Amino acid sequence: MLRASSLAFGYDLDVRAVGDRTVDPGVPGGVAILDFVDALLLRDDADHERRVLQDQVGSEGLVDASGVFANFQMMNRLAEGTGIPVPGAVIDREADLIEALGLHSILKN
Amino acid sequence: MFQFDDAPVPVRDDIGAAYGREWAYLAAPGASLSSAERIEVAGRTRTDEATSLPDAVDSLVDRLARDPGSVSESHVRAAVDDSNEPTVVEVIGIVCRVSAVDSFHKALGVPLPPLPDPRAGHPTGEIAEGLKRRRTHIPVGPGPIPNTLDLVPAEGRALEAIHGPQYMTYDEMDDDRFAREPGLNRAQMELISSRTSLHNQCFY
Repeated sequence: MLRASSLAFGYDLDVRAVGDRTVDPGVPGGVAILDFVDALLLRDDADHERRVLQDQVGSEGLVDASGVFANFQMMNRLAEGTGIPVPGAVIDREADLIEALGLHSILKN
Repeated sequence: MFQFDDAPVPVRDDIGAAYGREWAYLAAPGASLSSAERIEVAGRTRTDEATSLPDAVDSLVDRLARDPGSVSESHVRAAVDDSNEPTVVEVIGIVCRVSAVDSFHKALGVPLPPLPDPRAGHPTGEIAEGLKRRRTHIPVGPGPIPNTLDLVPAEGRALEAIHGPQYMTYDEMDDDRFAREPGLNRAQMELISSRTSLHNQCFY
């Protein structure tokens, strides 16, 4: 969905950025977005990253970012708790993404 | 309706309203659990304090809340063996939604809302029949991931009710060019979802 939506908006997405923080994702505000998520999940204090993100995407964008983060904290737990399998067609379609992000270990669980 | 007076920015009313409805639903008796048990589960997502639920159920709540990528079929089936499938589905739903509400507050840097007081009443017993496991840990409805809580229909409805305000409605997800204006467009949103899922070791 990241690739499809980036294509739809005409962005030059580099999907490796999802797993490699030295890579620019090529999405407006993308670095600040990734910094914000990392701060929320890896540290107790995200004040700086929240302010930077707000500067780049506005107050409404910060609320949207918080909502999307919350939603995937929810959906990840739903997927793991219910054990819904990843369809084989999706694995085939996203093979290069799986390789680029080193997701093989996740798929084995 | 939740108020976000401490938030650094104004919060959309649809989010505050959705979370208000979620808290009211959380406080009511569920399909299988009493309201007091539901609040216990909600509290367990926040603390190390064990619930009065069977050990394997309590352990599943703990693991799902704090380390979702480590949850396996054996953990879920052990919880089912210690209770029953509707209870486990209800527990999963509660952990998911409380994690969402708390994560939203954390993202905005505001204090977590106090959990609601449990309401009187008995479990509703609203449990779907005829569902089966489809290479899943629990019986699910056919179709995509939102149908995975169908065994306890109220849990699925509650999840859908906050999914739209937080992210997109299920219908809006068909649009690759979805954008909130002003706000984020879908590509920016998917960057958040992708990085969050990677941290959680979840392919979804």
